[in-house]
Amino acid sequence: MTHVPIEDMESIAAGERPGQSPVEIAAHIAQCAECARELAWLRAEKALMARRPSPPTDHLWPAIAARLRHPRRRPRWDVRVSLAAGAAAAAAAVLVAVFRPGRPPVPAQPPQREQQAARPVRPRAAIDPKTLAALDRAEEDYRKAAKVLEGEYERLRPQLDPDLARRWDETLTRARAQLGESRAVAADDVNVRMRVLDGYAGYLRSLRYVVQESEEANP
Amino acid sequence: MRAASLPAEVLGARERESDEELLSRARAGDPEAFRVIFDREAPGVRRFLGDLLRDDAAADEGTQETFVRVHQRLGTLSESGKLQGWLFGIARMVFLEQIRRKRRDAVPPEPPEESLATDAGPSPEAALLSAESDQMLDGALAGLSEERRSALLMRIDHGLGYGEIASAMGWSLQKVKNEIHRARLQLRTHLAGYLEEGAR
Repeated sequence: MTHVPIEDMESIAAGERPGQSPVEIAAHIAQCAECARELAWLRAEKALMARRPSPPTDHLWPAIAARLRHPRRRPRWDVRVSLAAGAAAAAAAVLVAVFRPGRPPVPAQPPQREQQAARPVRPRAAIDPKTLAALDRAEEDYRKAAKVLEGEYERLRPQLDPDLARRWDETLTRARAQLGESRAVAADDVNVRMRVLDGYAGYLRSLRYVVQESEEANP
Repeated sequence: MRAASLPAEVLGARERESDEELLSRARAGDPEAFRVIFDREAPGVRRFLGDLLRDDAAADEGTQETFVRVHQRLGTLSESGKLQGWLFGIARMVFLEQIRRKRRDAVPPEPPEESLATDAGPSPEAALLSAESDQMLDGALAGLSEERRSALLMRIDHGLGYGEIASAMGWSLQKVKNEIHRARLQLRTHLAGYLEEGAR
């Protein structure tokens, strides 16, 4: 007989009958040092777990019951942000589906002059007026959502612990800087404009996180 | 109504009620049925979260959040027989969210290098003789990665089946078995090491 399957060993360790051939299994364990040791470990595990005290939980119920009676209302800013950001994200998704922009150029090391001369010039993805209008609208929606969140953070910030506020400020500064970089190069290239939308989405994620954390720090 | 204030015969009847019956009543909006589910399952969930978070206040908060979500999602549990696995899956999601929130404040220590040594050393029963075995176990569990610790605890502390753990973790059955096997080996290596140290 090969070694006893783990499920059967676990059953025996739990004091139950193994699923199949209990007599054969018992005989195998009696003469197989490896299985006998495995069983000893499983029993030891079980005994160690059984020794652990059960934590009290009665005191947790009143707060749960209260939350079930009065579920937390979604903050008003969250609704406004979701509407604006949702519209922007939907517009961006449509643009991706319709336009299928190519991979954005990677701003790496400046290429050598000879390489630059040798590389074929990829034509810029020109924007038709409809696409341009959709991009503008999506960006505007993201800006609106960001404004709502920035206002909310400004409202919460004075009550925050100064260290925490400083950390959030740094987070937002970094996110703004990233967004600023992408906007600085945005022109009439669809790929670049799509990256700006990505930048806005990232900025909104940071803002939403900061606002939620600030609210939790100041319930 | 508080469970502690109920007479023994009522408590006995509550204990006997099956998960299916309780879930059916809780879904219909019976608050008492949900309270019974809480009474039965909360200690396990709290211990599970305590083992993962290693912070009593955070584990209490996580337990409350878990049961609020469980209540909101009662209608989504398709098989009543899988209540425990479903519940632990939600508890683990709550844990992961708490960890993400805290990541800014502290970087969790990396789990130690995995050792797959299988045997040798003192008898495992000897571990139980030690008065420090709880701390020893605590330390051994802390050395496991979060995923392995979750899966192992679901199995050896909470008695979930391998299939239930697969659902809760979003893993294949084979992965669950492999991870639990490796977790056990790590745990044993740690416990054996402790015993060797104690013997010196």
